[in-house]
Amino acid sequence: MSDAGRRPIELPASSSARPEPQRIGPSMSFRARLTLAMVLGALLPLTGFGLVLLFVEVVRTGELDTNLVRVALFVFAAAIIFAVLIAYFLTNNLVAPLKAVSRAVEKASAGDLSVRVEVAGEDELARFVESHNRLASALEQRNSELRRILLAIGETSPRDGLDRLVAHATRSARAAFGMIEAWIELGDPALFPAEETIPGEARPVRAVLALPDERVGVLLGRLPATRGWDAADQDLLELYASEVAVAIRNLELFDQVEQQRQRLVDLDQAKDEFLRGISHNLQTPLTSIRAYAEQMGSEQPDPRLAIIVEQSDRLYRIVRQLVATSRLESGTLKPAKEVLAIAPRVRRAWDALGATSVDFELEDEAAGWLAIADPDQLDQVLWALLDNANRYGGGAAIRARVAPRPEGEQLAIRISDAGPGVRPEDRDRIFQRYERGAAGAKLEGTGLGLYVSRSLCQAMGGDLVLDEAAEGDRGASFTILLPAEPPATNP
Amino acid sequence: MLAGGWRAGAAPRILIVDDDPNLLVLLADQLRNDGFEIQTARDGEEALRRLDGGWPDLLIVDMMMARMDGLTLAREVKARADLPIIVLSAIDTADSKADLLEEVAEDYVTKPYHYPELRARIARVMRRLGDKVPRRELVLGPQLTLDLRRKAATVKGEPVQLTPTESRLLYALAANLGNTVGTETLLDRGWGDTDDADPSYVWVTMRRLRQKIEPDPDHPIHLVTVRGIGYRLVQQQPTQPA
Repeated sequence: MSDAGRRPIELPASSSARPEPQRIGPSMSFRARLTLAMVLGALLPLTGFGLVLLFVEVVRTGELDTNLVRVALFVFAAAIIFAVLIAYFLTNNLVAPLKAVSRAVEKASAGDLSVRVEVAGEDELARFVESHNRLASALEQRNSELRRILLAIGETSPRDGLDRLVAHATRSARAAFGMIEAWIELGDPALFPAEETIPGEARPVRAVLALPDERVGVLLGRLPATRGWDAADQDLLELYASEVAVAIRNLELFDQVEQQRQRLVDLDQAKDEFLRGISHNLQTPLTSIRAYAEQMGSEQPDPRLAIIVEQSDRLYRIVRQLVATSRLESGTLKPAKEVLAIAPRVRRAWDALGATSVDFELEDEAAGWLAIADPDQLDQVLWALLDNANRYGGGAAIRARVAPRPEGEQLAIRISDAGPGVRPEDRDRIFQRYERGAAGAKLEGTGLGLYVSRSLCQAMGGDLVLDEAAEGDRGASFTILLPAEPPATNP
Repeated sequence: MLAGGWRAGAAPRILIVDDDPNLLVLLADQLRNDGFEIQTARDGEEALRRLDGGWPDLLIVDMMMARMDGLTLAREVKARADLPIIVLSAIDTADSKADLLEEVAEDYVTKPYHYPELRARIARVMRRLGDKVPRRELVLGPQLTLDLRRKAATVKGEPVQLTPTESRLLYALAANLGNTVGTETLLDRGWGDTDDADPSYVWVTMRRLRQKIEPDPDHPIHLVTVRGIGYRLVQQQPTQPA
């Protein structure tokens, strides 16, 4: 019994390693042997008595009376049959409870501990059956304790916090082990040594909350003085304590992860605040610079003032790119859906660049299709792509073409330059954050242009793609795709 | 260009509120050159004090100010009088605060502003001053209610958000409820600050609006086309089945 109880969890593994029990006695069945013993026990004295009678008769008469022999043989045969029958019935009564116990044990080993064997009397057999019943009920009770314990631990979620976890574990321990009181002390278990057991008083129990690499505390409790406590009970308590230790460890890990997550959220907010502050603090002086230059330029035209206006616009767009990145990442960017003609916007975006030394060809084949987009965000995308084309195009003409896509309700804006183009291995990379093309390291820029542009296009329900370079093509060609409306007729 | 455009007689008065003194001086200068009468205030409290001395025709308000932010000021102003407000701000329009802004401001311009664009938006807001639109919800039929101050509509019980342009067009139509508004007028109301807008903008936007607010977009009962002229916003009579 104690073997089975001591390592309840490891039961299947240890049973297979156990040696086969030795077989004692001849290979006859128990019942056959018992019957044989009873028959022999009854017949031997009978046979002896018969032989003595015959011998006395032979000595007295001097001859063997065949009739007497016949009677003796008949009585002998009848005795054998009678003895076997009686033995059969007696042993039947004897073996039936054994069979019932055997069936109960088989069921118990298959996991059904609820079967009890009913037996009357006070004999050895009754005591044997009684001890089986006790074993089964002890196992059953222990199993249900274990189930309650595991359930109690499973119900404890890390979100509940350490106090609630400890309170819960304490309550469950008290209920599962039938303790008068139970409590958990966190910290070094050595600070809470085992108390001495005083007969007749509540029995103190103790189990360390142990993990393979750490002892997080100790579970202490008191049992009613009448309650038995054996090694198996102690094992179970220690098992429970180790589960509580795991739950506490999980809680600590969960707290750490939660703290780190909160820290990241805080950092992200701080970054947003920072960008917002930077953007405001840059935009305020920029507004004055730009407005004064514009005003002076309108009074007395001067190309130098035009350059100041252009460059402050450029700086402003870089600031906006940073702000847009932050907004895209925090998901707070909500583009408007306005009806827009594209070609004039492309033209304006190009003019705003101030690249007067580079030729710009704009083909408008929109045929009345209008894009649905956020004008401010679209201007940002156009500016980034045209600025890229201008910087990487090597001074050659830049071409833009606006046309509806035949297959869906979309407008495509293709912007192509005749520069070095994009190497095949860079095709995916250029859309990532802080990336530039092959010559990128030497050139200015935030490295956010294409990343932000693609994200903005996608936020507007469109996309930005790098076109496949055809054989013999020079330069890079990007296409902006935007949701579009077909032309409306004059009402 | 503007003076005398919407109101005969006195020059329109604008109150500019911004905590950047450089900008205040310059913007006041630019607007005075265009014939406006300008007052300035460095913060929200000063602005409210100036309001007590007489109401301007329009306010231009910076969003981020040290002592009282633009949003608080705009709410204070609207609590006193329904004065039109243009927000001039470094916060870009995609900001989450833009939603709050829409309840209180007629329009917004991001810094750094382009003066011609700002002027065009001032003109557009001023033109709309003559429009008399119900302050609260406008019930157009059993299945359509407009709430133009919140740029929202309720269609078949479901809330529908309108874009700024859509709500500007509806504003112009609602101001002339039941009467035809010409396409050119709508173009001017919706895209007055855009050089390259043409009538197809109006047609396409109206088509999209019908998809949003008409019970049956193919057979409009509220946004009715007046062939060759423009559009008319129609209110269904409660007794008349829709």
